[in-house]
Amino acid sequence: MPATRPSSDLILHRLSSSDYEIKLKAIREVKNQIIGNRTKKISYIKLGAVPAVADALAQADADNDCGSNLIVQSAAVLGSFACGVDQGVRAVLDAGAFPYLIRLLSAADEKVVDAAARSLRMIYQSKLAPKFDFFKEENMDFLLSLLRSENENLTGLGAGIVIHSCETSGEQNILCHAGTLEKLISGLDGSISQRDASLESLATILQNNPEAVTKFAGLQNGRALGSVIELTKDRYSRTRLLACLCLICIKNSSSCYLQDIGIKTKLIYILLELLDDSGQVGEEAPFAFSSLVAGKEDLQKLAFEANAIDKFYSHLQNCALHPKRLEGIFLALADLCSKLECCRLKFMSLQVLNLLVNALTHDEANVRTAACICLKSVSRSIKNLSAGCFMNERIVIPLVRLLSDLSTSVQVAALGAISNIVVDFTPDKSTFIQCGGIKELVQLTKSMDSSLRLNAVWSLRNMVFLADKMCKEAIVMELTVSSVASLICDPEPSVQEQALALVRNFVDGCMDCVEFAFAEDGIILEAVGRQLRKSSKIEIGIQGMYILSNIASGNEFHKEAIMHLLFPQAENGSRSFFSQYLQSSDSHLRTAAAWVIVNLTALASPGAFGRVVKLRNVGIVSQIKRMVNDSCMDVKLRARLALGQIISFGDS
Amino acid sequence: MPVRVALENTTTPSHVSGANSRRSSFQSCTLLSVGQAFSGTQNVSSLQKDEAWRVNVRIQGCDLEHGYLCGTMEALNVPMADTPVVTFWEGEIVDTKNYTFFTGKWEAAPEDDIRHWTKFPSFSPLLGQVEVDGGKSVDLSNYPYIFMRWKEQYFVNVGTDCGLTIAGFYYVCFSCSDGSISGFYYDPNSSPFQKLELKSTNDGRSGFTFSSYELQ
Repeated sequence: MPATRPSSDLILHRLSSSDYEIKLKAIREVKNQIIGNRTKKISYIKLGAVPAVADALAQADADNDCGSNLIVQSAAVLGSFACGVDQGVRAVLDAGAFPYLIRLLSAADEKVVDAAARSLRMIYQSKLAPKFDFFKEENMDFLLSLLRSENENLTGLGAGIVIHSCETSGEQNILCHAGTLEKLISGLDGSISQRDASLESLATILQNNPEAVTKFAGLQNGRALGSVIELTKDRYSRTRLLACLCLICIKNSSSCYLQDIGIKTKLIYILLELLDDSGQVGEEAPFAFSSLVAGKEDLQKLAFEANAIDKFYSHLQNCALHPKRLEGIFLALADLCSKLECCRLKFMSLQVLNLLVNALTHDEANVRTAACICLKSVSRSIKNLSAGCFMNERIVIPLVRLLSDLSTSVQVAALGAISNIVVDFTPDKSTFIQCGGIKELVQLTKSMDSSLRLNAVWSLRNMVFLADKMCKEAIVMELTVSSVASLICDPEPSVQEQALALVRNFVDGCMDCVEFAFAEDGIILEAVGRQLRKSSKIEIGIQGMYILSNIASGNEFHKEAIMHLLFPQAENGSRSFFSQYLQSSDSHLRTAAAWVIVNLTALASPGAFGRVVKLRNVGIVSQIKRMVNDSCMDVKLRARLALGQIISFGDS
Repeated sequence: MPVRVALENTTTPSHVSGANSRRSSFQSCTLLSVGQAFSGTQNVSSLQKDEAWRVNVRIQGCDLEHGYLCGTMEALNVPMADTPVVTFWEGEIVDTKNYTFFTGKWEAAPEDDIRHWTKFPSFSPLLGQVEVDGGKSVDLSNYPYIFMRWKEQYFVNVGTDCGLTIAGFYYVCFSCSDGSISGFYYDPNSSPFQKLELKSTNDGRSGFTFSSYELQ
């Protein structure tokens, strides 16, 4: 139903009337019209009602009855404009009402104070509200006076300011030192709104701050922590959720608290039960669940045992789910399936995948992103990858479409899922190729956004793992040799690493695959050599060494090319980058470097003797000799293998 | 099929619980990393006839932290199958942290375990301690052999009616030096001690190659 437009001139005229009764009536009229009605609010904002009400507030005298009546009504209207509508917050701030409202907090009339505090609380619920500077002494005094107050609206405002403006650990610490925690704890015994505000501000101060958590846990001999735990049983669902969130912040900041399996299980059950709430609490519960189990195998196991996956699945089956709820559930499932195979198997057995595939084409970008993140997590199962559970048109086609999504976060999330799914251990990748997957991935390797480049190259690298020659050729054709060389020298080291890993996989497999490194006058191998000489990143060294090792397992020409790359002149090899790699403090890099020597000196190759002579001349043989007692077994065994081959040509 | 041999069941858990390890983490071996391929034979001889299948193995996943390994096994020239039969297997690495030498499931009693492990010459220095506690106190992190159990989970390319069974599991010993693998299939309902012998393969290359993937 279309909203009726307010009769513009009249209402503005009446709002600025000099007649008290007319003005008050107009303000009340606006208040009644806009309450809970977003469309009406926007309509009045566009009309210019906010400055008119702000003027009424500024001009009214708090010391007489009429004035205070006007203030109470206009503050309520301004708060209502600001409630849940950013446009309204902006209008209130632009009209200059904010400092007036702050000033009114010290008025003598309690009704005025209440109205101003309520209005300011609404404003502080928006990100647009001005940041409160906790480092200013007078500000901190003001905040503490709010929190210390007997007036619930003032303490609520104080909590709102903390929730809005406390972001850094410096801010958390200054609030802790000033005694804010103690003040907020006393709010835990107050009314519902006080409890909820206190819990939320406590969570804000404790988040990712072990120091603050230690202080909090020690307060009142641990009774403060006990009070929060107690509130997880509160009859109000919002309070239960906020108490859980507060405990999650404590647990995530310092793992030494809430170790007890009982409380961990309890948190899981409460959050799963809160999913049944049909309102905002039910929407927020899966996000809280995510932060509880993310990265924690023990909690994921407990959640699995509490049948969390079945519970999420039964909610997902409700087609009319709000997008926020869908997003939350997919993210919760993603965290739940991130480590444990039993969770992934359960996910697959319940056919959650069908619902996930539907969500890949959801209208909301956040839902599409969450579905991709969930798919990425579930596809970490090698057992399912090997069974070909994901490499089918039903999944691959919508996923590839998301690579050209307008939202970058959707693209990145889709790439994450694709990079796992393409590791299907079958040499034939035709399903992915036929739906244009390679073309899209290659396109994204050219993106200006480094996270898109990184994930696109990562996907190609995984795709080439054990791929057949035909698949490799299809990729080279699309990607081009010169692009590979550029990606090896990408400004981002993480992209360089993935590009090198891609080349490493390319030159494995049949002998013909080695030729890829020599295409177009060997620009790829040249780029690899350049990167190995200049980079100090271990991971880059490792990938580079395996490229050289794989090429060195080719024919005589390939082996000689590697010799030339490693030792361009017959100079002292102990100064070469390769010698440094053999001596690296990282055992994986030493191992990779030792494999290069094993392959260069392979007994069956006719030129091995000549290479052994050269390796001896440049001092590499003596280095290998020193490695036969390396502390790392893998290095030791490779050095021994290499030395055995070298010695068979005659030792000196 | 061989006659079923009734054996005592055991409830000893092979999976060592408790997240904290007192030992250093298990060292990786590049020859047992993802993508590595092995080929050889499985001797399936019985009293009636001598028979061996050609077998190819490929490592697909490796998670040393959890003592987990997996891959595929392809059996060629299987008499009752028209095509090579591929199975997916999952392995438990005996690292004394996640798994010990005692299987504790799959119808394998400690006596069966010892009887199979002692078939590997590299096991003999460990026997005494394993008999005491399953090898919980042995430090295998620098041992040049890796002991494992491989259990086939499903047929990849054929149905379960292919005439082959995946009911049993393999006791496996891997040599870190040259990548050779020996194994013995254990299934109370199959011929005892079917021997698996595999060597690292190199796809016609003159040396060793290493591919890699990384899941996100």
